[in-house]
Amino acid sequence: MSNKQAISLKLIVSQSAGNLVSDMDGEKVMLNIDKGKYYNLGQLGGVIWELVEQPMAVQELVSTLCSLYQVEQSECENQVIEFLEKLMQEGLIQVKNFSS
Amino acid sequence: MKKEWSKPELEVLDVKMM
Repeated sequence: MSNKQAISLKLIVSQSAGNLVSDMDGEKVMLNIDKGKYYNLGQLGGVIWELVEQPMAVQELVSTLCSLYQVEQSECENQVIEFLEKLMQEGLIQVKNFSS
Repeated sequence: MKKEWSKPELEVLDVKMM
């Protein structure tokens, strides 16, 4: 499946390989040598990154975050999906249908 | 007790690098 689709709650997301990942002052930072790009996911982005180390449905990811943080479900959904779409555009995550 | 939420953001920088 291509990475050109929009993120929805039913999709499965997981980390893409090939990045050097480190923690810096509580924030998750990554370096992709092939692309010559440096990424800072911040503190909460780092939590999301670790949660998708194994393939996880976006719905499950949102539910997990809502159980850990003081945030409304709708706000969490919108912001997490927006963040995941940026990760997808940079090729940092893989996106699959539940059935694939 | 739940932690405080902050909007997740992705910062992207082009770097020059052997």
